[in-house]
Amino acid sequence: MAGDGSFLVEEFIDSITSQLDRVQDSLRVKAVNRPLTYALKDMSLELKVFVELDTQGKVRFRTSGPNEAGASVVQLGFTTITKPMIEENTVSLAANRSPSLEEAGLAPDERLRLERMGVRNVGQLERLQSSAGVQSVARLAEVPVDRLRSALVLNRPKVTGVRPLPPQPAPPVVRPAPPVQPAPPVPRPAPPAPPLRVPAPPPRTPSLPSRPPAGPPVLKVQPGTRRIALSGNRLIGDDGPASVRLNNQPLGVSEADDDRIVIEMPEDHRGGALEISLPDGTVAAYELSVEDGESWGAWAPDEEYS
Amino acid sequence: MAWNELADTLLQLVESVSPDAGSGLVVTEAELEMPLEVSSAVRQGRLVFCASAPHSRWKAGFLPPVHRTRIRVEIDEIPEDGRGR
Repeated sequence: MAGDGSFLVEEFIDSITSQLDRVQDSLRVKAVNRPLTYALKDMSLELKVFVELDTQGKVRFRTSGPNEAGASVVQLGFTTITKPMIEENTVSLAANRSPSLEEAGLAPDERLRLERMGVRNVGQLERLQSSAGVQSVARLAEVPVDRLRSALVLNRPKVTGVRPLPPQPAPPVVRPAPPVQPAPPVPRPAPPAPPLRVPAPPPRTPSLPSRPPAGPPVLKVQPGTRRIALSGNRLIGDDGPASVRLNNQPLGVSEADDDRIVIEMPEDHRGGALEISLPDGTVAAYELSVEDGESWGAWAPDEEYS
Repeated sequence: MAWNELADTLLQLVESVSPDAGSGLVVTEAELEMPLEVSSAVRQGRLVFCASAPHSRWKAGFLPPVHRTRIRVEIDEIPEDGRGR
């Protein structure tokens, strides 16, 4: 709310909605002890306001004061809707996962012009440009094409880091004491898998004829590595998380988030071609190599390699 | 003048629809249309709307304007588990 008592339209809607929610909640609580209760089905309000435009081009309302003539009348209607109606008419939470326009480095006036076109994040910008074309969006929003393209690159699905995870602790097993025998040599437990520096996969451009084609980057893991964490951006698409294959065999995903996926490796794998199919169809390929590496040192959970 | 929050005023209006216990009457649906004086304030950084019945039924020089409001209330059917819709 500004110093002159004006407020943004969205603030106004939020405020009225929270008041109506409070009414419904109170009536619902009352129903616990009373046989009959009422629900507020709808409400309409003829609000007398002065409509102003602030310096940022946002519409603000100011309720009319005593003896102020000439106010506009805004007719507002609120009604109860069902959960399926909410899901039909609102943007899904998944659509809000992509970076905001501010994070994409767009200036405030550029953001405002894009917001007027219904674009509030890079994901929505990507959807619009896929149907209208980046040139059209740039012309309508008066934003340079280069700036839009660089914003779109930010939202592309990508793998930025890969690291093995330590094995999950097994539950303690109580066993009867074995008969006394000469003590066999005690095998030393394998050290936990160390962090890896993973070079980025090569760009998918045709290599020059004079150079031999570069192979996929090599990931070295220790024997017994069962879980590998991938970090990146937009690792979950509309059809689910990115799919990962080792030597063309699909691997299971134990945890999946937009920026992190944990994959389960087969018990006695010997490495091979690791392919990560991202939601936009691109494939990040790595060569998984199983090697003993005592010189790698201890696993460091706080380090992230990319 | 003490201002009521819009939610409190609406709750009082809904309450006014309920007939006295033992009267044998049941109101199943009601529509109320009334003027409200509306003002806004900020509490803990959030915009809060207050609404109250008009100061007076008479028109005077410096009274706040009234905003026509209409609400519709209905008997709520509570499912057996009591959780509501």
